[in-house]
Amino acid sequence: MTSKDEQVRAVIAEQAGEWFVTNDEGPLATEDSAALVAWLKASPAHLGEFLGVSVVARDLREACVDPDSSIDTLIARARAEDETLVRSLWPRVSAAVFPSRRWLTAAVTLASLAVLSLGLSQLWSVRPASQVSMPASVPALHFATRHGQQLVQRLADSSVLHLNTDSSVTVRYSDTERLITLTSGQAVFEVAHEPQRAFRVLAGSAQVVAVGTRFDVRLTPEATLVTVVEGRVAVGLSATSAAIIQVGADQQLRVAAAEWPARPVAVDAERTTSWLRREIVFDHEPLEQVAAEFNRYAPKPIAITTPALRSLEISGVFATDDPDAFIAFLRSLKGVRVEVTEKEIRVSRE
Amino acid sequence: MERLFAEHGGALQAFLGRRVRSRADTQDLLQEVYLRMLRISDPEAIRDPVLYVYTVANNLAKEHAVLDRRRASGMDIDEVAAHEQLETLPAFDSDLDAARRVARLRVVLKQLRPKCQAAVALRFTHGLSYREIAARLEVSPQMAKKYVAQALAHCRRRMARLG
Repeated sequence: MTSKDEQVRAVIAEQAGEWFVTNDEGPLATEDSAALVAWLKASPAHLGEFLGVSVVARDLREACVDPDSSIDTLIARARAEDETLVRSLWPRVSAAVFPSRRWLTAAVTLASLAVLSLGLSQLWSVRPASQVSMPASVPALHFATRHGQQLVQRLADSSVLHLNTDSSVTVRYSDTERLITLTSGQAVFEVAHEPQRAFRVLAGSAQVVAVGTRFDVRLTPEATLVTVVEGRVAVGLSATSAAIIQVGADQQLRVAAAEWPARPVAVDAERTTSWLRREIVFDHEPLEQVAAEFNRYAPKPIAITTPALRSLEISGVFATDDPDAFIAFLRSLKGVRVEVTEKEIRVSRE
Repeated sequence: MERLFAEHGGALQAFLGRRVRSRADTQDLLQEVYLRMLRISDPEAIRDPVLYVYTVANNLAKEHAVLDRRRASGMDIDEVAAHEQLETLPAFDSDLDAARRVARLRVVLKQLRPKCQAAVALRFTHGLSYREIAARLEVSPQMAKKYVAQALAHCRRRMARLG
């Protein structure tokens, strides 16, 4: 398990602990019950941590019996403990590759200040791609993933590149510019703060300029989707410098040359980037869309053979690298038949 | 696996009942419990979500749903209380048997700050309420709850990483 996974798990375990205690204290109020159900349904990880915490609570009854020290000794030590001297209870695993959230937030704050003092034009310069200066001597690095593969790559400036399935990028760093070209697929960029060198991503008809932030870019045949997780980026068309749109955290902008300028819409960016945790999240989404999303990762495509099933609504969190679990889920649905053939997974009405 | 189960069903069942199942099986079991959760369309239908989750987990574990999903059938959650269900809940994410788990938990417990150690001992071994724990530790009831929640989360993650 990576340190980032462990950090996410630790946060979920904290929430699970709080839920356990709330329930342990006495019967839950109706709205608390509903909130707990919603929390448990949000992810199998939530359910897992809750059950795990429950088992720990049960085992603690026996584990807390200590023949070497009485409960009074323990209470005396607890009372004597100085609140101000307590080090963090959570010995966070050192995040070597992944900058912590706090680090990113700090970087973003600094970046915003830098922008204010230097002026927007200099840093957030969205220029036609043809005018972006990149000396021919700057070597280009290529990264690519195959179907179902993912890749995490730390770049020379400590920015981190996450590549999703079937994706490819080219990275070129000069003294004045960090230029990334996404030629296919989807990527998340955790941008290291460098006020002197803008971080520019070209993807389809879109270009995204950032200083220190985290965002997702996905190329589809119709448009480029830019989703900001933290901080703020400037988005324009790669061909012109007209109409620059600012996109903030939890906002998504759909970029298509024919429909420019566009307006950002509110999204849950954690959900858009759930692929980083090898998860896909669906909330009442039609099976057709769910299948298309799954097919980005699965070795065998899902084919819906009964047209009426296309609009069947699906909710859940699934592992991108575990198609069997998703097939098992489809099988559990009433009136749905799943047939696994050599070439595809056929879903039909029973 | 299914053929094996049909041939040696009885013996295998006894074996699985005694031994804690493998990590892969607990993950399957967890996924199955989760799927049950997802199928609840009306949250109001569940008066006691914790009892519901424990009951589903226990029923699925008992019926070896991992080996034969079709057998996991109906249940009646009104019959028993949550604390009774908790007694038989399998240890998720851990291959250890109960005795080794408790021994390991003792070690993990020692790494907690004294306030957290005292709070969980008072709650789970001595059965004090959160209000009573707060009085004994000379803190607010809010803090007493926080110490227990933190201790649970910390122990859980340590056990999961060690398991």
